[in-house]
Amino acid sequence: MKQLASRLKGRSELGIAALLGAVGLIVILDALSLNVPYSQADPVGPKTLPYIVGALLLVCAVLLAINILRGGQGEAEGGEDVDLTHPTDWRTVVPLLGAFVLNIAIIDTVGWVISGTLLFWGSVWALGSRRYIRDGIISLVMALGTFYGFYLGLGIALPAGLLEGVL
Amino acid sequence: MSIVVGYIPTPEGEAALERAIREASTAEAPLVVVNSTRGDVFVDQRFVQSDAAKELEGRLAASGVEHTLLQPVGGHDAADEVLDAAETHRADLIVIGLRKRTPVGKLIMGSTAQRILLQAECPVLAVKA
Amino acid sequence: METFDLLMQGFSTAATPMNLLYAFIGVLLGTAVGVLPGIGPAMAVALLLPVTYSLEPTSAFIMFAGIYYGGMYGGSTTSILLNTPGESSTVITAIEGHKMAKSGRAAQALATAAIGSFVAGTIGTALLVAFAPFVVDFAVSLGDPSYLAIIVLALIAVTAVLGGSKLRGFSALGIGLAIGLVGADPVTGQQRLVFGQPLLVDGLDIVVVAVAIFAVGEALWIAAHLRRKPMQTIPVGRPWMGKKDWKRSWKPWLRGTAYGFPFGALPAGGAEIPTFLSYVTEKKLSKHPEEFGHGAIEGVAGPEAANNASAAGTLTPMLALGLPTNATAAVMLAAFIQFGIQPGPLLFDSEPQLVWALIASLFIGNTLLLLINLPLAPVWAKLLQLPRPYLYAGILFFATLGAYAVNLQAFDLVILLLLGLLGFAMRRYGLPVLPLVIGLILGPRAEESLRTTLQLSAGNISGLWSEPVAVVVYIIVALVLLAPLVLKVIRKRRPQSVLAGNVPLGVGETAADNDGVVAGTATVSQRDGDRVRPDSNRDGDPTGQGPDEASGISDGTEARHRAEEIKHEREKS
Repeated sequence: MKQLASRLKGRSELGIAALLGAVGLIVILDALSLNVPYSQADPVGPKTLPYIVGALLLVCAVLLAINILRGGQGEAEGGEDVDLTHPTDWRTVVPLLGAFVLNIAIIDTVGWVISGTLLFWGSVWALGSRRYIRDGIISLVMALGTFYGFYLGLGIALPAGLLEGVL
Repeated sequence: MSIVVGYIPTPEGEAALERAIREASTAEAPLVVVNSTRGDVFVDQRFVQSDAAKELEGRLAASGVEHTLLQPVGGHDAADEVLDAAETHRADLIVIGLRKRTPVGKLIMGSTAQRILLQAECPVLAVKA
Repeated sequence: METFDLLMQGFSTAATPMNLLYAFIGVLLGTAVGVLPGIGPAMAVALLLPVTYSLEPTSAFIMFAGIYYGGMYGGSTTSILLNTPGESSTVITAIEGHKMAKSGRAAQALATAAIGSFVAGTIGTALLVAFAPFVVDFAVSLGDPSYLAIIVLALIAVTAVLGGSKLRGFSALGIGLAIGLVGADPVTGQQRLVFGQPLLVDGLDIVVVAVAIFAVGEALWIAAHLRRKPMQTIPVGRPWMGKKDWKRSWKPWLRGTAYGFPFGALPAGGAEIPTFLSYVTEKKLSKHPEEFGHGAIEGVAGPEAANNASAAGTLTPMLALGLPTNATAAVMLAAFIQFGIQPGPLLFDSEPQLVWALIASLFIGNTLLLLINLPLAPVWAKLLQLPRPYLYAGILFFATLGAYAVNLQAFDLVILLLLGLLGFAMRRYGLPVLPLVIGLILGPRAEESLRTTLQLSAGNISGLWSEPVAVVVYIIVALVLLAPLVLKVIRKRRPQSVLAGNVPLGVGETAADNDGVVAGTATVSQRDGDRVRPDSNRDGDPTGQGPDEASGISDGTEARHRAEEIKHEREKS
């Protein structure tokens, strides 16, 4: 069981190698598709750097894959408020991402005040706060405050959406 | 059968603890001390740690009462933790400390003591500092 | 005395009431983010980038400078009071500082850190004033081949020297360079990595990338591994120092400054090495060596000064050459680009008012920090009562708001999310984020230099090393890349020696007689022959708390290992 888990863990890091390889490949293919005549004024052209970057990524992808298969492991980043003794807490991360995606989906239609309130309220909930009313009030104040702050202070009109005319 | 006390290092908490120790030694019942934190702030002054925790243990040992110190860090409210402890240890009595609250403060913050008073299955002794 | 006149003009710009207000806001915000775990100056500047769009660039940079210096200050406060060194550069401060605080000398530790920071910051900024014009003169005299070589050096140095795994560093660099490629090629107008998306033609907004990597990625990463246990803080009064403390502090301040500035100015010099060197020096020179490990004031004064002087040093290559050497400098360079200001050697000529006002504001900010923070230390400690959910939700909220406000397009938020997830994955798998951001910023400039260079040499590749400076720099690049390999070979031959050099003896020592909680410090890395990561003790539980955790078996054996190693090191020295 433990062995299986550790093997799966090793495999998940291979995803990074795959990502590097994919990005490298895309960069090179994209550069190949460029069609530029040779120019005396620009002997390097727009293709050279993509080739170098693509090659770097592919080499890194291969070396990283070898490193991982040989048992190498990236050291997860610590931090003042990071506790690496417990595994990734998806029950916090997934709702957090949900709040984020919801905001992307509705911001243009319902406006920042509503979507921002939901974003903050949802994030706070995801992070474990359960004082619904206080959190809701704070969320609304944050969204309204930034809406007017950006409008009056910076001259940036965030979308009012459904509340158009009310705000 | 036991006595559960909610403890925080404040005058109210000390008063509750003292009274709970007295109750426990007269009733010869085991004492369960609950000192919890939701764990959502960087620094929680009400959570007893290292030196202070040792001192607390020492005091409990000196009192001669059979005791357990619970320090749950579960993300739950103090009220839930005290009520949970009372249920699992089948408490006869819960001892809590009360502090003075303005009506406005009560409205915003909610009240741990109030929830314990309303939801506990056993008698609750509220001590004032 | 031309420099002096320019500096005075800078002061007159920076001292207008509005700009003073921005400096004030900057130092307050900076100290706040420095104190709060989980948020640092780089993230704070990134989050503020969008808000500063409509400001004068000068005002914005005055505020950023305040955040930069304030962040340093705030970091030392938490490392003393909580023993949670937020950045690797404050690890050393935490050793003696926290011991001092525990033995009831928190006020003196904070005072010597604050005054030392002020002294070092002021001297460091003065050195910046003295040296930057020379560096600029030198840099302006260089042609594109040399400039390209220097950019390559900066990229390689940051990637290869900092962080644990070079391979992962270069992977991050590659991703950063690839992100920098997106958009229309500035010379030919060819669209690279655009995939027919009209919104990508202008390239990825550097603000969105910075916010995604530094704010969203970090917030998600912390959320995934949220510490649930409260930390233990030591109550403070107002910081102050007695006569004896002054006497013991002033020399370490100056020596620390002397270590810090040059290391900060080097690409990839950073703050860890000078703080460590300062610590070792003070330990050697102290009349009270027995106090080291139990709260010696010199061990706070020296490293803290070195830390701040290195921050000032970092600004030299940033302003004079346009080269970022740490995360905050990288984000500030991103800000330059955002304001349409081309960073590089010509900055002093093209934007003299901005540059000198920025430098003047460093002096002002430093003084403000001292004036505000000596009385405010207890207030900062209160900041730690902020519930975590609000802090991290706030980071995501402002990151979203900022990225959206740039173009008012939900599309930018999709990019923000994707790159935020990338930042999360990078933290999870140990890919450092700094090479990515530096690659993103320097990639386009490297390409430009490369093109000009080969244009001048009519496509002949030897044009790359047609200048002596370029040759020298490429030799340094080769040394940077090869030196670790050579060291590795030597180390293999003498497996017992302490060749890692920068293994902080002091760290190991205190770790052993600490509460046995500063787990897995630098000493461990000798065994696998890998580079020492001074910040690796963040992975442990440096908060000095948690009796139940500290008494775990692993800690016991670790401590014994460390004790043995330290004994060994002592015998050697």
